[in-house]
Amino acid sequence: MDLIGGFIEKAKRLKKRIVFPEGMDERIQRTAERLSREGIAKPVLLGKKKDVLSAVEQRRIDLSGVEIIEPLDSPEMPRLVSLYCANRKGVKTGVAERLLKKDIIFGGMMLTAGMVDVMIAGAASTTASVIQASALTVGYKPGISTPSSFFIMVLPDGRILFYADCAVNIDPDFKQLAEIGVTTANSFAKIMGQQPKVAFLSFSSKGSATHPLVEKVQKAVCAAKEMAEGTVMLDGEFQVDTALVEAVAKKKLKEPSSVAGQANVLIFPDLNSGNIAYKLTQYLAGAGAFGPVLQGFAKPVSDLSRGAKVEDIVGISAITSCLT
Amino acid sequence: MERAEVESRVKKVTAEVLGVEESVITSESRFVEDLGAESVQSLELVAAFEDEFDIEMEEDAALKVKTVGKAVDFIQKHLENK
Repeated sequence: MDLIGGFIEKAKRLKKRIVFPEGMDERIQRTAERLSREGIAKPVLLGKKKDVLSAVEQRRIDLSGVEIIEPLDSPEMPRLVSLYCANRKGVKTGVAERLLKKDIIFGGMMLTAGMVDVMIAGAASTTASVIQASALTVGYKPGISTPSSFFIMVLPDGRILFYADCAVNIDPDFKQLAEIGVTTANSFAKIMGQQPKVAFLSFSSKGSATHPLVEKVQKAVCAAKEMAEGTVMLDGEFQVDTALVEAVAKKKLKEPSSVAGQANVLIFPDLNSGNIAYKLTQYLAGAGAFGPVLQGFAKPVSDLSRGAKVEDIVGISAITSCLT
Repeated sequence: MERAEVESRVKKVTAEVLGVEESVITSESRFVEDLGAESVQSLELVAAFEDEFDIEMEEDAALKVKTVGKAVDFIQKHLENK
């Protein structure tokens, strides 16, 4: 079974409730139809009920088993408004009411209140607005200050690597880089059910070069080790061949490392390197790239690229269900 | 509404939402660089202005407004069209 097929089977067992704030988007409606029909998840669409129903009728989409919620009409609105005010100190009720009228904020608050398990948005809005809405509603995991993202890279030989952060943080400082490493390790463990081995990448292997850019990665490794308190196997700074190839690791490193030569999570020093690397792997090595999956939020939220197809959104729904 | 009144209410709301002293806010103050607004707060700031003046603003256009003075202009335009 392929990777996504595996996630779909796992998601079927978990049967998570997923809120889609962009309920008017045709791809979202078709995704909801499939998730519900195949029992992959329980989708909830947000939007004006009348408009959604007439759109699906025209498009011949069957949403019979799918819940549609109109935020402005929802009896839950007052409860979610007061929950918002309680979580974001100093925000007036009138301001919260205006924010909750936005479907994506309402969806985020449904997630915060435990009415759903996952939120997926971004088919019609930017990554930045999905991140902002998620930060205001679900907030970050304890100890996390920076939302980030990862890609699941599936190589032609079947090997699976996680790459981070290839989509969100442009130039993370060493603390942010440490957070990205630890968060991606946790995501890997949750999704793959295996031990993550996290390599922090650079153009230097354990001090073979001296430069402020190398120093940033070295400081990130120290900070990440402190954050993880020995629970995660992580190491660096490594050149990518040292991280992936045992023979190179043996040659280049003076001291043994539990990660070098066998890394399955690659942490890139900035968005230049991360974004370039994932696309190189995708196009030159013929790897499958799934993501970006957002991480660092207190509850699972996923962004979609605006060009995402129904197939992609079903896959992301299954992957994100596995993150709960 | 007089411009002066709009300006004074914009400053009051900005101070409340961003948690800064009203006295440090001038027309030239930039929300992010000078007043320390984080990107997540900008959504709340827009909603707070809408609530204060009882108007609806187009979100993408509102989020492009960078300074307090420009926010006053932007809101005044909405008040005139109300």
